Amino acid sequence: MAEPVAAGRTAAEIQANAAGALERRRQRRYLVRALMRSPTFMIGTSIVVFWILMALFSTSFMQGPFDVNPMYTLQAPSSAHWLGTDDLGRDVLARTLAGARSVLIVAPLATLLALLMGTTIGLITGFYRGITDEVIMRLVDVLLALPVVITSILILSLLGRSTAIVIVVIGVLFTPLVARTVRSAVLREREHEYVMASRLRGERPWFVMAGEILPNITAPIIVEGTVRLGYAVFAAATLSFLGFGLQPPSPDWGLTIASERLFVQLAWWTVIFPAIALASLVVGVNLITDGLGRVFSK
Amino acid sequence: MSDVVNEGICQTGAPQTAAVEVRDLEVTFHRRGRDLPVLKGVSLRIAAGEAYGLVGESGCGKTTLALAVLRYLAANGTVDRGEMFVDGRDVSTLSEEELRKWRGEAVAMVYQDPATALSPAMRIGDQVAEVFRFHQGLNKTEARERAREALRKVALPDATLRRYPFELSGGQQQRVVIAMALAADPRLLVLDEPTTGLDATVEAEILDLIEELRGRINAAILLITHNLGLVARLCERVGVLYAGRLVEEGPAREIFTDPRHPYTMGLLRCVPRFGMNKSDAALQTISGTLPALGEALQGCVYSARCPMVQPVCIRREPDLHAWPGDGGQWAGAAAEAAPADPAAYSPHHASLVGEGLRHARCYFSAQVPEMPLTSPVLAGTKAAGPEGGGDVLEVDTVRRSFRDGRKKLVAVHDVSLKINHGETFGLVGESGSGKTTLAKCITGLIAADSGDISFEGKRLKPTAGRRSQAALRAIQMVFQNPDSTLNPAWSTRSILTRAVRKLGGVSGSAARAKVDELAADVRVEPRFLLQKPADLSGGQKQRIAIARAFAGDPTMVVCDEPASALDVSVQASILNLLVELQANESVSYIFISHDLAVVRYLSDRIGVMYLAELIEVGSAEEVFNPPHHPYTEALLSSIPTLDFDDPHQRIPLRGTMPSLSEPPSGCRFHTRCHRILGDICVEQEPPIQEAVTGHTYKCHIPPDELLQLQTATEPIAPIEV
Repeated sequence: MAEPVAAGRTAAEIQANAAGALERRRQRRYLVRALMRSPTFMIGTSIVVFWILMALFSTSFMQGPFDVNPMYTLQAPSSAHWLGTDDLGRDVLARTLAGARSVLIVAPLATLLALLMGTTIGLITGFYRGITDEVIMRLVDVLLALPVVITSILILSLLGRSTAIVIVVIGVLFTPLVARTVRSAVLREREHEYVMASRLRGERPWFVMAGEILPNITAPIIVEGTVRLGYAVFAAATLSFLGFGLQPPSPDWGLTIASERLFVQLAWWTVIFPAIALASLVVGVNLITDGLGRVFSK
Repeated sequence: MSDVVNEGICQTGAPQTAAVEVRDLEVTFHRRGRDLPVLKGVSLRIAAGEAYGLVGESGCGKTTLALAVLRYLAANGTVDRGEMFVDGRDVSTLSEEELRKWRGEAVAMVYQDPATALSPAMRIGDQVAEVFRFHQGLNKTEARERAREALRKVALPDATLRRYPFELSGGQQQRVVIAMALAADPRLLVLDEPTTGLDATVEAEILDLIEELRGRINAAILLITHNLGLVARLCERVGVLYAGRLVEEGPAREIFTDPRHPYTMGLLRCVPRFGMNKSDAALQTISGTLPALGEALQGCVYSARCPMVQPVCIRREPDLHAWPGDGGQWAGAAAEAAPADPAAYSPHHASLVGEGLRHARCYFSAQVPEMPLTSPVLAGTKAAGPEGGGDVLEVDTVRRSFRDGRKKLVAVHDVSLKINHGETFGLVGESGSGKTTLAKCITGLIAADSGDISFEGKRLKPTAGRRSQAALRAIQMVFQNPDSTLNPAWSTRSILTRAVRKLGGVSGSAARAKVDELAADVRVEPRFLLQKPADLSGGQKQRIAIARAFAGDPTMVVCDEPASALDVSVQASILNLLVELQANESVSYIFISHDLAVVRYLSDRIGVMYLAELIEVGSAEEVFNPPHHPYTEALLSSIPTLDFDDPHQRIPLRGTMPSLSEPPSGCRFHTRCHRILGDICVEQEPPIQEAVTGHTYKCHIPPDELLQLQTATEPIAPIEV
């Protein structure tokens, strides 16, 4: 007995720790099981996981997305090219699968950036309220009023075209929405007595925000994150469609749709399959959002 | 054995007058693939015109019983067994269509929170009229006329018809809900904690109403409550429910004066008798906690917590014996002699209860009056009252207002008071009187608009953020809601460690030792320190919250309703803990509560607040006895007590609490005062009068006159029990 006490833990405590951990594991398992049982969540996850796997590995088992074959341009789907070929004779299937990569880099990073900035702003405005809140939230309103695509085009035209800038622009433009969600969660949470107790303990504001409030508002932040991710996929594709994202010969979906749309009358498969791919990813992410939201709200 | 007796009751004790009859009801909840039995073979019968009280701690199954009878059980609850009759009609056979009709005509339920029972977007008149139109098929004008009558019946003026729910006070809202419940002239009226969220004076008003209505309606009333005083006042008979089992039943007066089940006895002992003080005795508690739903119980459901448990109680569950009669000793001896054969025992064989008889589910009913005390009686061992050493805290003309749109609400109006070292200062008053706002000004959670708060002679900064760490350490607070007082994301140990580090200024192994010490002080077993708050019971959470407040050895702790959200047995142990900590740490308390008996028990001095003003201050003894402020007098008269022979009369307060934005002129209490003198009260602010040294009140009536008035109208009630 002396040994564990010296180590700071009694046998009973260790036992209880095990029991507590068990209970938490049980809770987690329940959450996981509830998610597994939700068809929306499972279908969404399958779609998104499929695209992640394709983004990572499609090039290793498919024909290269850049392999040009001038002999076979604009071929209709056949057994050799399941989804046909494009104007340069590239395999549409290979390009569509590989096209997931760019969007799955840009959209999650942009979302992460928006979450980071939005959460910070939401915490600060929700916690301080008063004049800080007024000023920041009015700025946020201004940002909200800007149409995402037009503003992005403007900024990208000014700053030049690079993936990094696309990420930052989408991230910044999505920040206000995240900030609003987080702010309302903080407003609810800060009225709890444990926040008052921490003020009576003389905690610094940043500690109350990050240490006390933040751990209790992760659920709305996660849900907000998945919502934003869906929109970010869409925004990234739109920007590359407009020519502000990656440049040819990238197999990026938006870019492909834009460049192949000239042939749509002639060879519909060059446009329709990347479009379906894009739509499926957006829908997949939204299904995950729905599933998560429903399980969390239970 | 007792089967015979119970069958006898079945046959003879079933007069046809029963408006409600529940036989051997068993209800199970199904949650996450587990079957959790909630009610286990409960039987009861309520005659038409009779009021039946169902008491027990939260989680015992009281509300489930009512919902089962009304067929309102949630989708995951099933009635596995038993029959329910309302007016001779088998409730379980009703089809959906019949059920809808039956619910509209024959039964009604009044819930705890009236605000959620009313549609916020509809005028009161339309809501009440809707009941008549929908259930009785009346046309618009007829329904409107009936609605007017219904509201008159519950003593609401006709103007109420045009109001929206938010324009009414809680008491008025509950009246409307009761009016709607009575609209269809129900056979069964279920009142589920009808006054729990309401202030003492409003509660008294609603109780008067129910009492008065009882004579006029011929419905069976099922009153569900944790407040024993309420049952004592309203009900003829009472059933005590524990862990889904009816453990005792009988006439209310007999049950409360001569309980024959250890649980009933325990519940009665937990409640501080009015007039009891901490220096007289520690409160009695019930050890342990209510078994969790679905927990396997061996033998008697109460055996794990019973102070008189015997081996036989665990071997075999006792039946509901008649008392006095065959139960008690004889059955105990018989069961003792019987082999411990679980198969010989069916849990369903004995539950039907007759009228006019008492029953208790205990082998040792005869010994219950001598049930051993659970807490030692600490009479006289504590320092009875404040030590010398003068004031710790001085509040000088503190004012605090809030903005509500364009209106300005003064929540605390020029309050001054002093608190001595080591004393408990009780703060009472109805909700909205400014108690909590004053407490928050003192702790610095909100800043006072004007006035000074000095601590040990030094002026305190208005907000906690600007106070020194030493000042923060010295004044701590215990909050009301056990579910939000601890950060759900942190383990209990990290909560306490953080407090010890910030307030006690220690870290490392010293902090660890201090946390262990604190946990031991508040009687939380070390194993709970690694749990998250969600894994703790309400009482344990509140203990941790108390430990957190004591982390830096405070000089003063503000307790804002620290035990109000807890069950009576847990409440008693929390109050005992506060008393014990005070004796050991010589800390001063400001104790805020709406429960006057609790305040009386804990406090050395008491302040009474009404409409943002402190209208009376004095020693507990002085404030609670004449001469005292007419408001205090009314407040005291409104408490339902367990004392059946208590001759005191309730003093109904007129009208409702005036708005803080437009406080009445002159004396703020004049609009509701029963001792109003006349114009002087309306025109002039009353002086502060001194009854005896240290006991002051704000009223135009001088002390000797007040004493005469207050002792003349009511025979002097025995205050010390």
